[in-house]
Amino acid sequence: MTVNADSTQRRKLATKPFAKADRIFFGVARAAAYSSFVIIALILIFLIGRAIPAFQTQGIIDFAFGSTWDASASPQKFQLGPMLWGSVLISLIGVVIAIPLSISIAYFIEFMAPKVLAKAVTTIVDLLAAIPSIVLGLWGAFVFSPIAAGWAKMLNQSFGWIPIFDNPEQNFLRSPFIAGIVVAVMIVPIIASITREIFSKMDRDIINAALALGGNRESTLRKVILPTASGGIVGGILLGLGRALGETVAVLYVLNISFDINWGQVLQARGGSVASMIISKFGEANPSEISALMAAGLVLFMFTLVINSIASYIVAKAQPWRK
Amino acid sequence: MEKVIDLTPVARPKASQPWARKSPKFIASAAFASIIPAAITLAFIATAGLDFMAALIAIFLPLQVIAAALVGVSVYGRRGILEGLLVVATIFFSSFVFVLLGSVIWSVVSNGAAAISPSFIFQNNYYIQPKTSLEYGGVGHAILGSLLIVGASTLVTVPLGLATAVYLTETQGKSKGIIRTLLQAMAGLPSVVSGLFIYAMFIASGITTYAGWTGSLALIPLMLPTVARVTEESLRLVPAELRNGALALGAPAWRAFVQVTLPAAKSGIVTAVLLGVARVIGETAPLVLTTFAADRTNLNLFSGQMGSLPTYLFNYIAFGFDESIKRSWGAALVILIIVAILFISARVASGTRTKARK
Repeated sequence: MTVNADSTQRRKLATKPFAKADRIFFGVARAAAYSSFVIIALILIFLIGRAIPAFQTQGIIDFAFGSTWDASASPQKFQLGPMLWGSVLISLIGVVIAIPLSISIAYFIEFMAPKVLAKAVTTIVDLLAAIPSIVLGLWGAFVFSPIAAGWAKMLNQSFGWIPIFDNPEQNFLRSPFIAGIVVAVMIVPIIASITREIFSKMDRDIINAALALGGNRESTLRKVILPTASGGIVGGILLGLGRALGETVAVLYVLNISFDINWGQVLQARGGSVASMIISKFGEANPSEISALMAAGLVLFMFTLVINSIASYIVAKAQPWRK
Repeated sequence: MEKVIDLTPVARPKASQPWARKSPKFIASAAFASIIPAAITLAFIATAGLDFMAALIAIFLPLQVIAAALVGVSVYGRRGILEGLLVVATIFFSSFVFVLLGSVIWSVVSNGAAAISPSFIFQNNYYIQPKTSLEYGGVGHAILGSLLIVGASTLVTVPLGLATAVYLTETQGKSKGIIRTLLQAMAGLPSVVSGLFIYAMFIASGITTYAGWTGSLALIPLMLPTVARVTEESLRLVPAELRNGALALGAPAWRAFVQVTLPAAKSGIVTAVLLGVARVIGETAPLVLTTFAADRTNLNLFSGQMGSLPTYLFNYIAFGFDESIKRSWGAALVILIIVAILFISARVASGTRTKARK
């Protein structure tokens, strides 16, 4: 760098000469930022383009809510109903299981554990988030399914009189229940890390005030911590829900994908998942079936896009310090 | 002599937090409450030969809840029952997650270690049938394929993510909120949709057949949000004084960024790259739809199908023979080791940053 030795000379404001280089710099940054917009738009355009034939032959309503998928019939029938409902069912099971687990972990890290332990637990939760879903699928299929089938059997024996735990066939493998738990394992780290961050940024003085007024852990959690953090937690849960809906390979190995719709008998060995169905049918699909799979992908994409946008809006509202 | 005022905040003395004090009686009863139920349960398992899970649910949990509630009552009166429940539930649920994670890692390591050998890591899978014994063939081609595919998408994604983060932190752009929301939404993009998208764009339209580079493209939307977000976070941590100082000295914005902000955020950006790679190295669905798989080593991203670790795993689970399942455990262990290395390096990189800032 050169320094002008004559310091008495009045320096000019330096904005002008650099304007060109800076314009390029900011232009590149802006272009890159808009690229995420472009990517999402391209995804929509190409999926819609490929999906139109399927929508035309099947009809949008029938495609989304009908319950037959038969590529060998004539005319071919591609209807997504059982898969859509199955995805929702599995995600709901996963979220219901994941909520207590992840809030407990977040609470344990922030308010109960000593510092060293809290740090270790945080690392472990992050590590859980880094395990690829196909590894979880392998584990789910060969290690976890037999164990969870035992749990399912216990549930069925004790609560079989409740319709959702009914299972006359007594085959407990590959049910939405097991798929739901595997999905829960995947989304616990998502919900836990957002909840933990919200907890950690809470004003400690409110909590200490509640304790000083004679509150105990439970009343502080119920009356102070949860109400204050609820927005962020809901956002985290929705993000988890979005991830659960799109889960592909892990669910594939632990679920019996069936177009015989399963409305809620979670222990029975049939269920659906849009994402897993796409990957399982893709290999031997003919062109018109591929179009139907594209349409299924489009539906899945719209679904998760809406949920994730709402979720990220809520999370952003709940994390004003990120502004 | 100048008077020095110490402005470092003083830690609150313990006496100012009477609610944080624990009486010896409480500590003793809490210790008893945590030992006795476990002891009784162990005794039951040892003498009556109960199933571990059944004992845990039928004996240990009720006992533990009662014990914790009793401690709660002795400290807080009737309100303490819920307190005891909360403590037991928190610890039980947290340990449940650890048990699950431990089970995942243990099963992969123990089953994978049985399959892994030098030949499994270095040989490719040509001439190998699903039932071939494990002495022959391996994932060498898949490791190379994964590295190439992920490497290529890293080359594209990192500059893109970095520039996006620059837009989000260094500019006064009006659409920052929208971009951030879009990135978040993209972070939740189902991986199979990303694969379908690239398939529709390049393969179904006949531009190319299955190839490595389509796989790289399919990974970009999955990797970009992670890289952009973590980079943004690390750029945000650079003190504004540094940046403003450079600008006040007359540096143009791009030089202030390249010479001041970027070096200050270096370790954070390294973390971002490592986490981004860790996010996509095990992605299966997009690669199944766009690169397919191969048994031969293929080092050319631009022609021919390419093997990769996740697709190898995917195919060998599907074969369903004992030997092929063993191979898939081996491949799972290789993926897990790569993820662990990336993850630990990311920790180390971000650790050096926090140390440097102290």
